[in-house]
Amino acid sequence: MKFSYNWIHELVEGLEASPADLTRLITIKTAECEGVEAAGAHFAQVVAARILEVEAIPGSHNRRAVADAGPLGRRTVVCGAPNCRAGIVTAYVPAGVFLEGREIGRRVVDGVESDGMLASGSELGINRDHEGILELDAEPGVPLPHIVPDHIIEVDNKSLTHRPDLWGHYGMAREAAAITGKRLLDPVRLERIPPGAAAVKVTIEDFQLCPRYSALVFENVTVRPSPLWLQYRLEAIGLNSINNIVDVTNYVMAELAQPMHAFDADKLSGDTIFVRNAREGERITALNGEAYDLTAASLVIADGSGPIAIAGVIGGLDSAISDSTTRLVLESANFHAANIRRTSSRLKLRTDASMRFEKSQDPVNTARGLARAVELLEMVSPGIRLTGGMADLAAPARTPAPITLPMDWLMRKLGRPIESAEVRSILESLMFGVSETSPGVFSVSVPSWRATKDISIKDDLVEEIGRMVGYATITPTAPVVPTKPPPDNPRRRFHRAVRQAVAAQGFHEVYNYSFLSEEDVRRFGLAPADHVAVANPISVDQALLRRTLIPGIWKNIRENSKHFDQFRLFEVGVEIHKREGGLPDEVPHLAAAIYERTKEAGPFYEVKRLAECLMPGCEPRPGSARMFEHPFRAADIVWRGETVGRLFEFHPDFVEGRAVVLDVDLARMEALAPVEKRYQPVRRFPGSAFDLSVIAPRRALAGDLRKQLASFAGPQLESIVYLRQYEGSPLPDDAKSVSFRLTVAATDRTLSSEEVGATRDAIIEGMRGLGYEMRV
Amino acid sequence: MLESQLQNLAASAGERILAAASPEQLEAVRVEVLGRKGAIAEFSKGMGKLTAEDRARAGRLLNSVKNELEAALEARRKRFADEALQARLDAEWIDVTLPAPGPRPGTLHPLTQIQQELEDLFTSMGVAVLDGPEVESEYNNFDALNIPPDHPARDMQDTFWLGEGLCLRTHTSPVQVRGMAKLGPPLRMIAPGRVFRNEEVDASHEHTFYQLEGMMVDRDVSIANMLYFMKTLLSHVFGREVTVRLRPGYFPFVEPGFELDIQCLICGGAGCAVCKQSGWVELLPCGLVHPNVLRQGGIDPEQWGGFAFGLGLTRLVMMRYGIDDIRHLQGGDLRFLRQF
Repeated sequence: MKFSYNWIHELVEGLEASPADLTRLITIKTAECEGVEAAGAHFAQVVAARILEVEAIPGSHNRRAVADAGPLGRRTVVCGAPNCRAGIVTAYVPAGVFLEGREIGRRVVDGVESDGMLASGSELGINRDHEGILELDAEPGVPLPHIVPDHIIEVDNKSLTHRPDLWGHYGMAREAAAITGKRLLDPVRLERIPPGAAAVKVTIEDFQLCPRYSALVFENVTVRPSPLWLQYRLEAIGLNSINNIVDVTNYVMAELAQPMHAFDADKLSGDTIFVRNAREGERITALNGEAYDLTAASLVIADGSGPIAIAGVIGGLDSAISDSTTRLVLESANFHAANIRRTSSRLKLRTDASMRFEKSQDPVNTARGLARAVELLEMVSPGIRLTGGMADLAAPARTPAPITLPMDWLMRKLGRPIESAEVRSILESLMFGVSETSPGVFSVSVPSWRATKDISIKDDLVEEIGRMVGYATITPTAPVVPTKPPPDNPRRRFHRAVRQAVAAQGFHEVYNYSFLSEEDVRRFGLAPADHVAVANPISVDQALLRRTLIPGIWKNIRENSKHFDQFRLFEVGVEIHKREGGLPDEVPHLAAAIYERTKEAGPFYEVKRLAECLMPGCEPRPGSARMFEHPFRAADIVWRGETVGRLFEFHPDFVEGRAVVLDVDLARMEALAPVEKRYQPVRRFPGSAFDLSVIAPRRALAGDLRKQLASFAGPQLESIVYLRQYEGSPLPDDAKSVSFRLTVAATDRTLSSEEVGATRDAIIEGMRGLGYEMRV
Repeated sequence: MLESQLQNLAASAGERILAAASPEQLEAVRVEVLGRKGAIAEFSKGMGKLTAEDRARAGRLLNSVKNELEAALEARRKRFADEALQARLDAEWIDVTLPAPGPRPGTLHPLTQIQQELEDLFTSMGVAVLDGPEVESEYNNFDALNIPPDHPARDMQDTFWLGEGLCLRTHTSPVQVRGMAKLGPPLRMIAPGRVFRNEEVDASHEHTFYQLEGMMVDRDVSIANMLYFMKTLLSHVFGREVTVRLRPGYFPFVEPGFELDIQCLICGGAGCAVCKQSGWVELLPCGLVHPNVLRQGGIDPEQWGGFAFGLGLTRLVMMRYGIDDIRHLQGGDLRFLRQF
């Protein structure tokens, strides 16, 4: 929202704070200002000038004009405007003035030296008219009437969300007056609304949706461009000048935060304005030229034949003010915030009016808006006459109960002492009603413009007093709290340990997005329908929530393989699994990968080693591979009897070179991780070691052989370690020899060589019984 | 006669010991001279023929020759051993400048690092670390935080909607609600995590970023307490004393609500490009917990009060490391990530 410093200045008597100071004060005490910029600085030098003569320049569409600029004398300028003609008074910009960021000079155009320029309203920043130069009613040499340099303060709309009153200059002026201790000047004279019966009837179907509807009827209206000062004022804060009537409604809105709308009275059918819900199937063409289909959820303003406006959002085109309008109905109403917001978001139509209404405007303001409009309309449409008094239908006024504010409570919240007198003075400067009901307890009544939503409880008053007394006056103070260790978060500790362990093995941590595309999930053999979908994604490739980290890791591998021959990376993130009803399951996972640009063996066992570092004793269990996995290099990771993850090499169709991934369900892993360690007595008697080799089919699993050997070794087995395997002569083609070193021991004695031999024989016997040939 | 023979033997054996060129030759000399059938043994056999007196003298002489030769042998053996060891060591020369094999430690993501650092700091201050889900109910994300449906404050956070009353959480604030239910008053908690806003991505905007929510609820919690807490936190984060200021900010779940600024660390408040000449950098929103929010958490606002804040971890990481493009953080590019 843009605020004109001059406008605020008009409303605060004797305001001395400079634009920069005011901006800073508003930021510190009221709302965040994004900046302040000088606007129209050139108006200090631009003057009115009468064109004395105009002559064509041969071979150019431009003409040479001589203008009388009063005390500046006669100036010759080159001008291309079609309305440049002798006799008119226009705006003369002397050389040396900056306009739209460029310096106006003395330069030769089409062979003629042009000294300064004659300017259009658009070039001067008064309006958006660039069809021709301004035509003024002023004496040559004087500054443009009522148009002076200004400063525009831009306030962040988000910080005005709770302040319906700050959507107009008067509200901000009220803040400025309270902050600086100056007097606020009310531009509204309610007595401008004449008493008497209204010339238009109003019916309101639902007072909750429309708490108040006020209207006036005018006749003898002249529709024409607004005076320049009005155009300039609207243009400076980003509103487009339309005509004198519409501009007045926008001026009142920008000043009082009360949106208004003017209907052409002669285009309405019947003598009654209906405020009602739209009927299904009703349609309206709005001022912006767009047609909108309405539903019963939307409130409309209607005449006898149908909707003439979408309430609080936009007016209809058919009843709009036009050059031929002579009678008008001026609406100043109050609408239910949430309803306006819903309609506006459903229609995807945010207007200056809807933005204000959705902040819960003050119903008291409707009549104030009309009173102000009467005054302005008389200025811009001479001869305009009111017909009858004000139509004014309203729900019974709701006066909220005063807020009880105990001083000791206030001081505990602020964390600093404060005098009652200061509290009273602050609240009164903001126009709260204050009375001390008992010593140290105030009863505070809230002004109507703060009572719609903003302020209803004593906590809200803490802010009013805190910001005005100044937060800088509060000394940081340590809270008094018991010293005790906080509740533990074992899950987070566990994840931290996992991250650190994986990073220690050379892996770099990546963060991937939670979003995937349909293409991403199909590529990995998943059905888009099994995913939680975003209803309003930024783009189609971010429409689904990931239920696996693998596609992200795959992309990381592909991208980084452009820069590195080998690397290790990992992510800890959540898989999001759809669940019927309620929140989806979020399962934390670790995905770690090693990539090597090689056709050699690849890093499979290195990744397996990572699994063993994380989960000592875990075992891969080969199983059928998914389509993105190497069919013979993929296995479930089983730990303590449970499948906790997956170890696989990417299928060559997915990755050039070799990439091996470990994907672990961290929730399961955490559940299986040993909580406490128990000491086992150290063996006092030395063990005896011997080696055994098993001849087995080539694709027999060493892990199975190991387990079988162990099972025959019995309880004396202390350890069994894989040594090596061998294929080739003299073994048959389809066989291999796998060697293990077994160590046996007893807890109470050193085993005799006979005992060791017996164990060894039993193992050999057992293995032979399973059909293996043993090399001993 | 016997003595001179013995002395000759000793002399020649001594020479042969010294002349032995290898441990094998030396062993051959030992066997010949001192072995069971060697020269010395032969001599002792011959001593039986001597008179007792001569035998005693010859025996002494023999022993002394034997000891002498054994000492010479031993000296020679040691010399060989020393030489062999020296040769082995010499052969074992390595180029110590060759690179060591095996992987180097990897890195934790800068966001992980800053989260862990802050978790440690808060834990040391007696603050619990809580988690919340990335997918939240609309209720927890908005309604319970005093942002009912159709409240204009919902515009402040462009939301990814998932249907069925679910959304991707737009802030870590829903963990306030979860935390109050879980811990009950009094409580001190933080909740770092991933949040989402429906925004186009560019160098300074992300749809996915990280926040750290903080909340304290106790009997009497004042703005002064909040200021102290924030100042302590930020001084630790930035590794030096920071100056903070509060100004009004609107967030429906706090009342009063603040924007907390820190005095620009680059220019010290004099005004520079980083702080847009204002001397202050907006850092985090905070405020006293709104009574409605306490009620949602089952806490009586007449008995308890609190403060809450939301720290932008992504922004903090960017400030700390001078990262100029937010997209790096979730780009997965090891050329970037290896630096941390």
